[in-house]
Amino acid sequence: MRFAFSLHFLIQNGVDDVQSDRTKAQLLSQMGVAEKDVIYELLCDRSVEGGFRDTLLVLTAKGLFIACSRKELEGEKVFRGFPLKKNKRFRSLAMVTPGAGSSSEPEAAATADDWSTEHIPLEDIESLSIVNLVASGLLVVKTKEERAIAAFTNGLMSRASLLSKLFDKVKKGEEIEPELLEKNEAEENCPACGMIYPEPERRICPKCMKKSAIFARLLKFAVPYKKTVAIVIFLMLLNAVCALAIPYLTGTVLFDQALAGKGAFAGQIGLVVGLIILFRTLSLLFGILYGYLNAKMAISVVFDLKSAVFTAMQRLSLSFFQRRQTGHLMTRINNDSTELQFFFIDGLSYFIVNLMNIIGITVILLMLDWKLTLLCFLPLPLVILLVQKAFPKLWRLSWRSHRRVSALNSMISDSIKGTRVVKAFGMEKKEMTRFHGVNQNYAGAEQRYSKLSGTIFPVLNVLTQLGGMLIWAFGGWMIMQGEMPFGLLLTFVYYMYMLYGPIEFMNNIVGWWSHCMSAGQRIFEIQDAVPEVQDKEDAIHLSTLKGDIELSNVTFGYEPNKPILKGINLKVKEGEMLGIVGHSGAGKSTLVNVISRLYEVNEGAVRFGGIDVRDLSSSSLRNHIGIVSQEIYVFSGSIAENIAYVNPDCSIEEIIYASRIAGAHDFINKLPDGYDTIVGTGGYDLSGGEKQRLSIARAVLHNPRLLILDEATASLDTETEVQIQEALEKLIRGRTTIAIAHRLSTLRNAHYLAVVEDGKIVEEGSHSDLLAKDGSYAGLVKKHDEALKMNEVVLA
Amino acid sequence: MTTKTIEAATEQSEQVSTEPVITELAEAAAITFLDRSNASFRLTEGGMLAVEHDGKQHEAVYVHSSFPHSNRASYLSIRTIENKEIGIVRQLEDFDEATAELLVQQLQVRYFAPQINKLLKVKEEFGYSYWEAETDSGIVKFTVRGGVGQIKLVTPVRLLITDVDGNRFIIPDYTALSDKEYRMIELYM
Ligand SMILES: Nc1ncnc2c1ncn2[C@@H]1O[C@H](COP(=O)(O)OP(=O)(O)O)[C@@H](O)[C@H]1O
Ligand SMILES: [Mg+2]
Repeated sequence: MRFAFSLHFLIQNGVDDVQSDRTKAQLLSQMGVAEKDVIYELLCDRSVEGGFRDTLLVLTAKGLFIACSRKELEGEKVFRGFPLKKNKRFRSLAMVTPGAGSSSEPEAAATADDWSTEHIPLEDIESLSIVNLVASGLLVVKTKEERAIAAFTNGLMSRASLLSKLFDKVKKGEEIEPELLEKNEAEENCPACGMIYPEPERRICPKCMKKSAIFARLLKFAVPYKKTVAIVIFLMLLNAVCALAIPYLTGTVLFDQALAGKGAFAGQIGLVVGLIILFRTLSLLFGILYGYLNAKMAISVVFDLKSAVFTAMQRLSLSFFQRRQTGHLMTRINNDSTELQFFFIDGLSYFIVNLMNIIGITVILLMLDWKLTLLCFLPLPLVILLVQKAFPKLWRLSWRSHRRVSALNSMISDSIKGTRVVKAFGMEKKEMTRFHGVNQNYAGAEQRYSKLSGTIFPVLNVLTQLGGMLIWAFGGWMIMQGEMPFGLLLTFVYYMYMLYGPIEFMNNIVGWWSHCMSAGQRIFEIQDAVPEVQDKEDAIHLSTLKGDIELSNVTFGYEPNKPILKGINLKVKEGEMLGIVGHSGAGKSTLVNVISRLYEVNEGAVRFGGIDVRDLSSSSLRNHIGIVSQEIYVFSGSIAENIAYVNPDCSIEEIIYASRIAGAHDFINKLPDGYDTIVGTGGYDLSGGEKQRLSIARAVLHNPRLLILDEATASLDTETEVQIQEALEKLIRGRTTIAIAHRLSTLRNAHYLAVVEDGKIVEEGSHSDLLAKDGSYAGLVKKHDEALKMNEVVLA
Repeated sequence: MTTKTIEAATEQSEQVSTEPVITELAEAAAITFLDRSNASFRLTEGGMLAVEHDGKQHEAVYVHSSFPHSNRASYLSIRTIENKEIGIVRQLEDFDEATAELLVQQLQVRYFAPQINKLLKVKEEFGYSYWEAETDSGIVKFTVRGGVGQIKLVTPVRLLITDVDGNRFIIPDYTALSDKEYRMIELYM
């Protein structure tokens, strides 16, 4: 019996579908498993000890079958996203993770002896779990004792957790819903070229996505400015025509006609000089005009582009931003759009102008004298070669020095922002040394750049001049022979100098173009991203949020196989207050994130008055839920604007009421600018507690049906907290409230309490119930009391 | 905490001039240090690491390195699956050779990442870079998302590269790369 050595490759790449099926079938038959009994298969790609080695796990009703390759992987290991040239065809087999990685080229066909097989009966296995390693996972079965059976790299994580989930179901004898298996079968590869999408949630194949398509899409943003575009192009044309006339006038017309006293302009030197001046002025005027119009338009286009992106961003879910660090995202959008702006202003217009010039000049030259024209183009290949060789290097050096400047800047900004710390610990010397090092680095990079650019440009100049000299020499000879008038030669030289600039530019624009198209693509990526939390088409819109909140069997994790919430069941009665307590990191904030549908649950459901949140429109949720979150945020703007953020149309009085309830009124009035104080970036620095009170005021003003307070009063002193609580109490009455608090006293009004520990609700009930139980909650209370007593002692 | 651990901490601090401060810190931190006198490691039949410490058996523990990049084999935190620390192994020399080997092996289980010996090709296209490299685990091909944070220096010379799935690849010393290889990656650093 012969097996192809590497299952991964065969199956994944569909090199030989028949053979891969046979290989799998043979392994199965070796283990005594019938294909129809297979519930799930997973091909793990890492050995437990490290290194790449295949292990096939097969789950059936009889238990777990393991086939373990004896050899380390030979050939190459290809991870997700890497385009493979050879497999134009792609087939997604049930047992294969599309794209979790594959090994290539079965270098040696191996025999069945290369696989050791094993069967662990279902009844012997207590559990099958996944241990998270760094960038990998370990599958551990618990029989009499724990045992690591296989390891896999990150890409297989969600499949592995499905295996473990399925195992639980098999073990408990539960039925397996077919959707569970279907979910993983989603196409993750580009239908056109078979390349795996680098990111499954972004159905974009970078290979098949055409630059020209992006370009076309970018140009669409210019459609509203059609008229301007037409005018600009017309002006460019005029500019080019005027500019092209000048060499002819200064050369042939001036010397061969006016000065030589022949032809149409014989003797009319004044007229010719006048014409030259006129054309130069016109060309300049047209140039200025189109430059101005074009810049104005480009700015509007980029502005539109940015607003489109920003609008698109607003509808994306939180997790999109969390995956891509918002700060970077914003800088990137800004940089990318600036780049596009430059491209539209400089790149595109120069491209058109230069193209017109090149075509125009070449035609004119050929018409004047084709032999001399060929001579003109003689040094050109050399120039192009040099530019192509040297410019990337120059670019790299410039990039390097640019990066060092950034390092320098961020170092300076760090140490200025941290001045307080630097001074407090007396570390000025150290900072100076650090600065010195970074500065020297920068100086070195800058010098190298200058050296290279200092050599290249003179050489380029010489080369260009060489072309001129060739023409002078050859043309001079022709003049001597009487074959050519002097003015014509002069015309030639002028045209030739006019030609080199545009050609150099054309040479560079290719790189620039693809660079800018990448920028465009990144911008469109945001526009195209599909929000994970998305309204259904027939989403129910509620004018008010009514009824109890119910969580049934909710499981949720930010990443696959790292569930933060595990099977939560909870009920909040309408109009009551639920208190959530638990250690930090227990998953309390996550719980409220899921309730307010900032994230979608992985399993189970959240229901408002019996309706699944997934069936509700997002506006019916957002309009009726007010969250004061742990992470407080103030926007740039006045305090009043900050409070009225959600309801910009509210009256001044309402703002004042809200801030009074939130205990913010007093401190705001103490500020010299009162409610007009500008806060946020660059504005007045509020303390943590003050910001917190602002966000409470914001939520109060929103007047929600469901108020969520996530450690809303944590950074306030006890006295202020009590004040706010008293004010809030009146407001809260009759509203559903979920409050998370560290200080248990904050929750004394809660009708119902839930203790969260490690993503599970370990206790629930009223305060007195829980105390009577003498469990976790009682423990927390005891500790809390002790801490309070300590406080009293300290204060006394 | 056993007195031994404090003694151990004191011993260590003797080389440092700020001895009393360190002792105070050690006392306050109350960290359990494991060495051959108070702990013994073994591999279970299932291939899991088990440790006995102060007469207590812990089956299935995992070795976390405190400095996975700069000093992988020192200050090894021995933890259970519930992430409870049983103790810290200050250095491998605190145990016999066989145990040291066992611990190193367990580190490999947790931190396995191919080390790049030679870069074959790095190509950028549309915000992703495609890498081909020779590593100590054979040739690998992977895809890295553009942007900040995917390729970073974790020590002055050690480069950590993270692909689209979070798989990690390591260039142990980027200064040792050839000029050609360095040029391939320079733009990403
Ligand atoms: N956006 C996120 N991505 C990944 N993990 C997260 C995210 N937010 C929180 N976590 C993790 O989830 C766990 C629970 O966090 P959280 O719900 O904020 O706890 P709590 O509010 O109870 O202190 C923590 O281990 C935290 O590291
Ligand atoms: Mg929290």
